[in-house]
Amino acid sequence: MKEKEYSVIGKRVNKVDGLELVTGKAKFAGDLRFPGMLHGYAKRSEIPTGIIKSIDISKALEAPGVHLVFTGENIPGPNLIGILPPFDQTLLAKDRVRYAGESVAFVVAETKNQAKNGASQITLEIEPTKPVLSLDEALDPASPKIHPDGNVTFSRNLIKGDVDLGFAEADVIVEGVYETSYQEHAYIEPEAVCVVPGGDGRITIYASCQSPFHLRGHIAANLGQPASKVRVVQTYTGGSFGGKDDVAVEIGALAALAAVKLGRPVMVNHDREESIIGSNLRHPSRIKYKTGAKKDGTLVAKQVEILLDGGAYASESPFVTMKALIHAAGPYRIPNVHIKSTALYTNKTYSGAFRGFGVPQVTFASESQMDELAAKLGMDPVELRKKNALLPGDSNATGQVFKESVGILDTLQVIEREREKLKEFKGDDHYLYGTGISSMLQGISNGAEGIDVVGASVQMSQDGSVLVGIGLTELGQGSRTVFAQITAEVLGVPLEKVTVKTVDTDSVHDSGPTVASRSTTVGGKAVLTAAEAVKESLVTMAGLMFNSPGAPIVLKDNFAILEASPEARIPLDQVATAAYWTGFPLMNLTFSKAPPSNYDHDTHQGDIYVAYNYGTHLMQIRIDRITGEVTVLRHLACHDVGKVINPKGLEGQVEGGSLIGFGLAHMEKIVHSPEGRIINSNFADYAVPTIKDRIPTEVVSIEKPTSNGPFGAKGVGEPPVAGTASAFANAVSAALGKRVKKLPVTKEDILILLSEREKK
Amino acid sequence: MRIRFLCNNEQRDLEIDPSLRAIDLLRDTLGLTGTKEGCGKGECGACTILVNGKPVSSCIMLAAKLDGTRVETIEGVKGKDEELHPLQQAFLEEGAVQCGFCTPGMILSSKALLEEKSKPTEEEIQEALSGNFCRCTGYGKILKAVKKAGQLLEEKR
Amino acid sequence: MEYLKPKKIEEAVTFAEKRDQSLYIAGGTDLSILFFDSKIKPEVLIDITDLEELKILEERKEGLYLGAAVLISQLANLKTKKWMPLCLTQGAGAIGSPQIRNLATLGGNICNASPCGDTLAPLVVLDAVFKLRSTQGVREVPVLDFFIGPKRTIRKEKELLEAVIIPKESLTGVSGFFKTGKRKGQTISQVNSAVYIKKEGGRVSKIRIAAGSVAPTPIRLKKAEEAVIKGNLEEIESAVMEEIKPISDIRGSEEYRRIVTAKAIKEMIVTLLKEDSRNEN
Repeated sequence: MKEKEYSVIGKRVNKVDGLELVTGKAKFAGDLRFPGMLHGYAKRSEIPTGIIKSIDISKALEAPGVHLVFTGENIPGPNLIGILPPFDQTLLAKDRVRYAGESVAFVVAETKNQAKNGASQITLEIEPTKPVLSLDEALDPASPKIHPDGNVTFSRNLIKGDVDLGFAEADVIVEGVYETSYQEHAYIEPEAVCVVPGGDGRITIYASCQSPFHLRGHIAANLGQPASKVRVVQTYTGGSFGGKDDVAVEIGALAALAAVKLGRPVMVNHDREESIIGSNLRHPSRIKYKTGAKKDGTLVAKQVEILLDGGAYASESPFVTMKALIHAAGPYRIPNVHIKSTALYTNKTYSGAFRGFGVPQVTFASESQMDELAAKLGMDPVELRKKNALLPGDSNATGQVFKESVGILDTLQVIEREREKLKEFKGDDHYLYGTGISSMLQGISNGAEGIDVVGASVQMSQDGSVLVGIGLTELGQGSRTVFAQITAEVLGVPLEKVTVKTVDTDSVHDSGPTVASRSTTVGGKAVLTAAEAVKESLVTMAGLMFNSPGAPIVLKDNFAILEASPEARIPLDQVATAAYWTGFPLMNLTFSKAPPSNYDHDTHQGDIYVAYNYGTHLMQIRIDRITGEVTVLRHLACHDVGKVINPKGLEGQVEGGSLIGFGLAHMEKIVHSPEGRIINSNFADYAVPTIKDRIPTEVVSIEKPTSNGPFGAKGVGEPPVAGTASAFANAVSAALGKRVKKLPVTKEDILILLSEREKK
Repeated sequence: MRIRFLCNNEQRDLEIDPSLRAIDLLRDTLGLTGTKEGCGKGECGACTILVNGKPVSSCIMLAAKLDGTRVETIEGVKGKDEELHPLQQAFLEEGAVQCGFCTPGMILSSKALLEEKSKPTEEEIQEALSGNFCRCTGYGKILKAVKKAGQLLEEKR
Repeated sequence: MEYLKPKKIEEAVTFAEKRDQSLYIAGGTDLSILFFDSKIKPEVLIDITDLEELKILEERKEGLYLGAAVLISQLANLKTKKWMPLCLTQGAGAIGSPQIRNLATLGGNICNASPCGDTLAPLVVLDAVFKLRSTQGVREVPVLDFFIGPKRTIRKEKELLEAVIIPKESLTGVSGFFKTGKRKGQTISQVNSAVYIKKEGGRVSKIRIAAGSVAPTPIRLKKAEEAVIKGNLEEIESAVMEEIKPISDIRGSEEYRRIVTAKAIKEMIVTLLKEDSRNEN
């Protein structure tokens, strides 16, 4: 089939909202200024768990510049937040605190420093109780219960076939336990909101966030107002990666309550320390994994027990637990699978959504197992994966069959080829070398987490310019650009004529959260459909103007062109004007609904995702024997993305996600003291990669289109995190000749291991 | 106390509290919110400004120290005739901007580098940008953008 | 709070003497953070950054004279100059990031006296002398006497560190610096170390080894030095491991610090011994 020639799809276009960013004109939430604006700052518990005996705010009320202080006792409204049921989290802790850093009071003052000073004047009397700080403590029935129903946040099973029979048939079995640690989002912009009461009884919340409608609902509920009275506007957002929505609700609601009470705008702008301590982290994990295979490498059974440390509140633990469950088996054909995935409560900062969302953790375990299995079988790790790679028509771990868009084997073939080209290095006194690969999959769209619906509007003006509205947010990942490209392609207008609206709950439709790598696929589909509806008006009008109603007409290069004789062309603004005056609708609001997931909730068997992104990564590393430092010599990330809409944007997503995966595997770890307090809540002691730590990621895209995405596209925001982390672990394992069982494997770990070996 | 300094080529004469931070002088007093605060401890580089042509962290600097200096913020970065500076152009063209929060600091640090060396090596770029954190891009396209801007600047000479 | 900017060094020390609760401030990269966080609340800040006397950088009869307010970036940029000891310029160049180095001063790194200060181990192996001034006069303190504990020095509250003198004889010979941190850029040292070697007639006539972040202050490693003088290079690592007293903290484990310091120092010595001494006597 001939590849279609696109005008804008697949082209290396510039980010449509980039100009404001390179000139410094873009306003982030913390940049907003309103007359009479006040500042809010929270008082946080330093004790990880205990009963609140008293909160003395008297000195705070007298502190210079302070206008208002809320505690859990006197806060109006339900004082309840949480992304998902069981909605077990308060805005301000009332009877008890459950993690060190939990907010117990909120101070509003003229300046941030005054609010901070006011907060420091608050005296907390908390009777400490015994904290539960580890997975084992959480599992122990003798441990205190963090929530009334116990310490299990959420637990689910995936059951396919019969693993006992499967293992009985296996010629070779490998078993292991794998662990990963806390990772922090470390977006460069800390969380911020600015709330402005309107003169009309409504209130506007400007927020750095991913899911404005979610914010609106929760803030309205806490205000005791109907959602229609609350307006949330997403400001330019300096990165989120899943980390901002919990906090945006928390500080948005607190600031809104204060703004309503005082009748003045209120801003909350987190310090970096507050951002690290007071917002969600990536779930640490402990995964027990058992794989069985025939001696020719055919996988016959996998049994996995996943434990996730969910921290003090549920946040997105239920969804992360499910996603981990669904992805733990990897991109392979396996007849017998039994997975149990459980999130536990502990008295630490709550864990939640972070780019990857459970998939990096289980992929590390799964891909370590595959390498161990390959070693035991005496098989090449690529061969083993190729042998078992899902093919179109195969039933995956949830029993879902995809007849199209399954490119895992293609990615393996690319990596196999590239691996041949790798330069060979011989270790010496100074350096050690290793190569690793990993394969993975990541479901695109909300899947088991709920209905996946997007509402998008496309509206053309008489001058031929176009306005697109959609409830999905631009976070830097380039979704706005993708939506503009899709619209421009369908309507035949130049990209500069398309504007994608700011996400304002008053003017766009609720499209659910901007997560799960769903923007391009589900979001793009909605935009595509809306644009096609407008196209129909233009085509019909042009047909009339050509005096050939119904004749095939192409919209391209800002013209309506008669396909039969292309010299016959009318500028699109003229067609639009004519359409307007003739009464053809130039605006369309469409809902795109992903095919609903349909699965058994006890076994997680059924249709869950609209598509999966598949990937294989290759990594070659060099270890310095003196410092343990690792330099990545080559990193190749190959993903089946369905269709590349914006190559530049896609590369940026893969490169950025890969470095986050590298951080997870090698450099980053949030550390708690034995008492349960985070001790590295700053950038000095939390090792976010700098440019000197970067890895030379090369991006290769495979296109196996899905009919569920615009032009066949699938998302790619999250997959590289899992691919890179796992490939790194396998490369280090190869270099050291010893399996890495815990992430991060830091240069310290490596040097200590090498040194132990030298002693022998 | 009174301080006088040049800010983006405009003479400024202000009465300030000595305890004021340079970043707050820029963002609050002068309304130049292009300079960002990412950590408040001089670690992340989002607050980078140029003082007498050299990149410094404005979040750990007393505003008083700006007295008698020449300050450049992102708002002052332009090319000839109100065009984009080659760095701004290159950042856009190379895809070196995602969320954009680190971008002002990145551009200023890069500007200082390119004013010293028009053809910096990759190592030199990495050293010059070692104090500017980015969480979105993985830095690859930022490196490309700085190299490209260097070329564009050379061409203009 | 008052902010004073004296024009001459005598003014600076006089201000300090007269005013209680006063602090000298130069680049402020350490002090400003404490001040902005309200962890310290001085009544007066005395800005010494632009004092002429503190910006001198020249070779004098007694050796290299470095004013305390010489910028870290200035020192770092002298890396290629043969007359500047490499360990010191490398140490300076390893501090933080360009944004920090353009504000921070040599004097600040010294007076802050963090065990992981990157100019400290170099100054120890160069046998530096610190010139302190107060209204009572001037005194000179050898580097090893200056540091008495983590972030503690013998500098009296009103004393101003005026200059650092590197003795003339330390300017010949070769030196090196090593640092490792949790990441490759913008990082605080987990450990750092410096080595100074002078060869005469093909043999090591002088060796000084110092390490930072492995004890409450930067320390000389005499046992390791002896091993080198005796020509027992295989003993260097164990000698270093015995002498240093690292702790485990958020930045690094005791075990890692011990191993990496020993290996890095050994490697540095081996490399330096291979180099031709510059300006050999």
